[in-house]
Amino acid sequence: MTSNNGLICFTNCLLPQEDGSLLAKDLWIDEQRGIILDAQRTFYLRKERPTRTFDLDGNILSPGFIDLQLNGAYGFDFSVYEDDESYRQGMKLVAEGIVETGVTSLLPTIITQEKSLYPTLLRLLRPFSTPKSATLLGWHAEGPYLNHSKRGAHAPPFLLSAPDGTKSFEDVYGIEHLLDNEDWLVSCEGQNVGVRLITAAPEIDGVMDAVGELSKRGVVFSIGHSVATSDTATAAVRYGARLITHLFNAMPQLHHRDPSIIGLLGASPHLSAPMSPLPPYPSRKGIPLPGTPDSIKAMPLSGLAEAIDGTETSTHTPAFADHGSSVSSDSVIPSSAPTRKGSRSELHLEKGQIADMAFERPFYGIIVDGIHSHPNSVRLAYSAYPEGCILITDAMKILDPNLRDGVHEWRDGQRFVKEGYRLYLEGTDTLAGSVITLDTSVRNFSRFTGCSLGEAIKCATYNPAKCLGIESRKGTLRPGADADFVVLDRKGVVLSTWVRGKEVWVKK
Amino acid sequence: MRLIIREDPPAVGDYVANYICKRINDFSPTPDKPFVLGLPTGSSPIPTYKALIAMVKKGQLSFKNVVTFNMDEYVGIPSDHPESYHTFMFREFFSHIDIQPSNVNILDGTVEDLVGECNAYEKKIKSYGGIELFLGGIGEDGHIAFNEPGSSLASRTRIKTLAYDTILANARFFNNDISAVPRMALTVGVATVLDSREVIIAVTGLRKALALSKAIEEGVNHLWTLSALQLHPWALIVVDEDATSELHVKTVKYFKSIERVQDEVERSHAKFKVNGVANHQIGSME
Repeated sequence: MTSNNGLICFTNCLLPQEDGSLLAKDLWIDEQRGIILDAQRTFYLRKERPTRTFDLDGNILSPGFIDLQLNGAYGFDFSVYEDDESYRQGMKLVAEGIVETGVTSLLPTIITQEKSLYPTLLRLLRPFSTPKSATLLGWHAEGPYLNHSKRGAHAPPFLLSAPDGTKSFEDVYGIEHLLDNEDWLVSCEGQNVGVRLITAAPEIDGVMDAVGELSKRGVVFSIGHSVATSDTATAAVRYGARLITHLFNAMPQLHHRDPSIIGLLGASPHLSAPMSPLPPYPSRKGIPLPGTPDSIKAMPLSGLAEAIDGTETSTHTPAFADHGSSVSSDSVIPSSAPTRKGSRSELHLEKGQIADMAFERPFYGIIVDGIHSHPNSVRLAYSAYPEGCILITDAMKILDPNLRDGVHEWRDGQRFVKEGYRLYLEGTDTLAGSVITLDTSVRNFSRFTGCSLGEAIKCATYNPAKCLGIESRKGTLRPGADADFVVLDRKGVVLSTWVRGKEVWVKK
Repeated sequence: MRLIIREDPPAVGDYVANYICKRINDFSPTPDKPFVLGLPTGSSPIPTYKALIAMVKKGQLSFKNVVTFNMDEYVGIPSDHPESYHTFMFREFFSHIDIQPSNVNILDGTVEDLVGECNAYEKKIKSYGGIELFLGGIGEDGHIAFNEPGSSLASRTRIKTLAYDTILANARFFNNDISAVPRMALTVGVATVLDSREVIIAVTGLRKALALSKAIEEGVNHLWTLSALQLHPWALIVVDEDATSELHVKTVKYFKSIERVQDEVERSHAKFKVNGVANHQIGSME
């Protein structure tokens, strides 16, 4: 056994499990193929055992972190295009740098653009990696189908509606970027993991029409920058939406009579009808506006800041109240009307079991910098639906763990002010994304919620992978998954990062 | 037969592990002359495996030139089933030591020709010149390997239906679903164990106390298959205090007293070995 067979055994380590526990166990990988092995099968069937062993001194060997929402880093902004070459350089720069934060997979996120720019950017944002970099999984298009009143730092002139439903999406993003997942992956030579994610406001004219079709094609649909009512938000989920973009931010605050998007975390089995099939989304024409109770309209404006929001909006903005023709009404989906009967005819008697739901509650991305969401809010969300929790950074191009505080250039003549983890548009108090790293978020999350480090890790690994449907390859230590790891000490500090079986970053 | 009594299961594990370690190191195995070790599954050997793993990690012991034969395996569950003995051995022992996968032998309960599998197993043991040391445990009914009460004491590796007691006892590993517990197993026979040059049985816990007394204080009886060990010329049983509960005080005192001369016995055994006496096969190989 003196010759090297290319297998590595990690020993004396804690392995985060998919249930959030940490298990003291060895892990075997195939360094050449860059994948995790089924150790027992390797031993009995392949009749081999690793010739090399890494003793991790009792530290944690976690799947590499996954960031669903990264706008840029190290001075490169995924939303800024000059030419192909410099854009590709920027992708490489971010992919190779970000591993120092424990991230091994991420979704480059582009904020609302002038619409002609989308095909160019999405053409470049194919799944991408270098031998020593994190994997850029594809793209996350945040916009342009966002609600004007919850636009945050997105440029108002570029916001659109989708009067032709799916076709509008195809016209803007480019039809070749919205193919069925299999066909799209074929066009991304050599990559077999790829993800597309769209954040849009389902109440925007035509968006709801596209949710089902896009979801069917494997595009992950996320609700965000939206004032959708509970009914609209629920309908979007029933049509296929799988995610909520930066929970609490750029959406109505939780109102108990119409908890809107945030309320999806507590989606009630009472309102979810296993019996009644979901009707096709009704045509937008001729649907009467739903009545809005006066009590809600009359609610006083909250003085609390809505992070990311550029404009002051009421805590519960009716969709049709303050913008023009680009936004349609919140159409009521008949099947989700609260008065509906027959979702469950009998009460059940098993303690601890929740009645069946007709749909899965959506995952939710949450920024855990202590600014975008108060620690209490983070814990509240996590308590409501731990399986859906996904830590995101929403970090901007100035993300760089070593960058000083002060004023920094952004784009279009705008400038950021960085104060610690706070990032404002210069001259305003509008939060513009974050500058937090995902490893810091994991530690924060464990402190904010009181959960174990293993459970916090799950929210940055397995949960996002599951949301994206790539949990057999990323965010897991299952056999056959990519050998992408972050080694953490027991305080959650990144000690080293591995991608596809190779160590690519070590703490100095 | 010797009986060694220790305080508790970890102390039993340490004793057995030390003993095996010494035997392997004295043997000085090489690729051409490997040490052939028989191994059990179950709760009794776990402290022994833990202690052996610690010795390997400290560099006091190596399994590079050790060939192992396991006692038994279920029929009808896949090898990677969480309760299969393949899984048990890998999880509790093989993954942590430096043994070569090609030196590990476990009966395969998934093959079509189960009889052929059993015969090939006996043949393979023979090809290594027999088993040097067989480590074992017992069930509450005194069974050794899956040689349930009533098994022939001349039995060889074969298919065996499990006793109802054993199925009930194992149901806890299968979600307490009796129908999910395999009803058959492949197991080495009583004679296969007796053919080993040396046998060590670890017995711990109150629940095994009756079986222990039946096996060593009464006659050879196929209803307590461990009792066949009385016919073996070089057998060692290591037990904890709880397991002695059904023994006569006299028996316990006797074995405690003779432990003192154990070193002497071992020394003389080593001398025989040097003289080539102990290398002769003890017991019949067929």
